Amino acid sequence: MAAGAAVMAVGRRVLLGAAQRRALWGGFRKKEEELDIEKIVEPEEKEPSLRVPPPRSRNYVPPANLQSNLEILVKEIFGPSVPENWQQTSLKENRLKFLLLDQLASELGHTVPNSQLHLMCSAADVLKFYSTPVKDVSKFDELCAAELPPNLKIVWEQ
Amino acid sequence: MTGRGSASRFLGAVLHNGVGRHVRQLQRLQLVFSPVAPDARGARQFVEEAAVDFARRHPDVVLYVSPRRCPAPLLIAEYLNGAVHEELVSSRSCEEIAGLAARLAARSGLDIVRIRKPFHTASPSVQGQWHPFTNKRPGLAARPNK
Repeated sequence: MAAGAAVMAVGRRVLLGAAQRRALWGGFRKKEEELDIEKIVEPEEKEPSLRVPPPRSRNYVPPANLQSNLEILVKEIFGPSVPENWQQTSLKENRLKFLLLDQLASELGHTVPNSQLHLMCSAADVLKFYSTPVKDVSKFDELCAAELPPNLKIVWEQ
Repeated sequence: MTGRGSASRFLGAVLHNGVGRHVRQLQRLQLVFSPVAPDARGARQFVEEAAVDFARRHPDVVLYVSPRRCPAPLLIAEYLNGAVHEELVSSRSCEEIAGLAARLAARSGLDIVRIRKPFHTASPSVQGQWHPFTNKRPGLAARPNK
């Protein structure tokens, strides 16, 4: 009886069922195949239903006639209270300041960010802000695109 | 540490450099840094500002710039004699890294260890090393006993 029980115990340990053996060696492969099939099928079925518009580029290049345009705009908005040098027009009054900055933003497509609004105290500041070009590209991409000497290699590992 | 305890070498020029034209011994410089880590700020600034300048001034050195995920920014210099010298450039400014690169470019690949003698020559004697029997008559040497 004891011997019989011992044999049975041994048998259970050593003899794996056929299903268990497949799971150990072949089942893994089967799962991979299934996954591959799914991957191949999915992109064919997917239609471009979600068309995402390209992200808004922050590129800004100051136009050539910026100064004259700004002068005209300032004279138009501030009217009589423009001093001799129009660049020294103070933007203290919030309503006029808003009108000026709003018009410029809609014309040039480039807005003064909220954090820099308090720095715009005179028309000269506004002129300086709108004269600085803004580039979209990160410095690395710019560097890669620029003409490098032949002994400088930039290796991206992504 | 005594001289015996630490490494030392004899004076030498690499591959008779300087006999013909001078050959820069630095073969390539690899700057490995992370594009986001805070201690690689100097390295990033170096790449943006000074790397192109360095490459133009040293046309015989190849500069590889590898922005990738790494634990610390390194400047790896490989020399013509096979020596590889790694320098940690974390938390260093752009100017320091540029200076370091220039210094590495000026070095030969020989190890910086104690030099045993400040002189070395491949031909120590032209007419033959003197010994006590030089310029003496031939019969002075010992004769075998008969």
